[in-house]
Amino acid sequence: MRHDLVIHEADAARIDAVLERFLGDAGSAAVLLIERSGEPLAMAGSARTLDTVSIAALAAGAFSSTAALARLLGETEFSVLFHEGAKESLHVSTVDDDTILLAIFDERTTVGMVRLFAREASQSLKAILVDARRQPRRTGVLAAPLTPEEARSAIRQRPA
Amino acid sequence: MSIINYAAKVINFKIVYYGPGMAGKTANLQYVHRCLPDDNRGNMISLATGDDRTLFFDFLPVSATSVRGFTTKFQLYTVPGQSRYNMTRKLVLRGVDGIVFVADSQWDRLKENVESLRNLNDNLREYRLDLNAVPYVVQYNKRDLPDVAPIDYLEYTLNRGARRVPAFEAVAVTGTGVFDALNTVSRMVLLREFGQVQEGAS
Repeated sequence: MRHDLVIHEADAARIDAVLERFLGDAGSAAVLLIERSGEPLAMAGSARTLDTVSIAALAAGAFSSTAALARLLGETEFSVLFHEGAKESLHVSTVDDDTILLAIFDERTTVGMVRLFAREASQSLKAILVDARRQPRRTGVLAAPLTPEEARSAIRQRPA
Repeated sequence: MSIINYAAKVINFKIVYYGPGMAGKTANLQYVHRCLPDDNRGNMISLATGDDRTLFFDFLPVSATSVRGFTTKFQLYTVPGQSRYNMTRKLVLRGVDGIVFVADSQWDRLKENVESLRNLNDNLREYRLDLNAVPYVVQYNKRDLPDVAPIDYLEYTLNRGARRVPAFEAVAVTGTGVFDALNTVSRMVLLREFGQVQEGAS
């Protein structure tokens, strides 16, 4: 079973708007929308200055192992994961079956605020992602199959 | 699962290195990390036990040549090989687009290879995936060691599914066969996603 995801420009703009609103409402410094397979889908705030690729992979790993823990205890899932640091804290919550939302925040706000607005943002994001998953998979320049030359030249990794 | 983002012009794929414990999965990623220029790769993360065995996964993001203006990114993961870590191994497989099965060529590791391959099939089934349909290559690692099984024998034992997949001899710690396996599985993933115009077709 594959759940490939195509995010077109219009959906990307809608997602960005939700994330920006979340930052303002929750007082959070950064926010990332992450596929549970570990790939970052969108981000806002100071996230752009962080190693978001690594953060997404680790957060997805932590969240899925927490979900596995929940199942061992007879729960469907723990819907929130919270890590408190000396200066910055992390709040990870469920958006839908395939996606999670990670917020990074400091003492300028509270976990309660982050939690409240994360829930609200997740509802909006869920609706956008349902639309995105329904749309045609590829359009524009990616609609046509690869030519033999494109297929040959696309992947040529070698030691430096 | 592939993710195509038209706004960021990025295509993301996930490749998982699977195989028994100590077969050289982490060594593959370490070699790729060591040898690719900074522009083509990100930081490598290893979640390992105190004795350097993978506890959860290793992770290395790699960028390939762009396709029609879209940056193509491959997220490389390893799984923990030890049989007791099956739950975490299953979690890492989520959303996989391509698989490199790293087999240990030594005679006395044949049983572990066969068990790991069976375990891979079982875990894929839980995601309703089939090894015969997922882009997949086999790498016979540790070919430099003295007590290794012949390739024909390994092929007969480990590469006998409905389709024979590309297989490579390797010595991952020195890099032999590492990029052959990575490039081949990446190309297979790309072709599965985008198909290919047949040679001579107009």
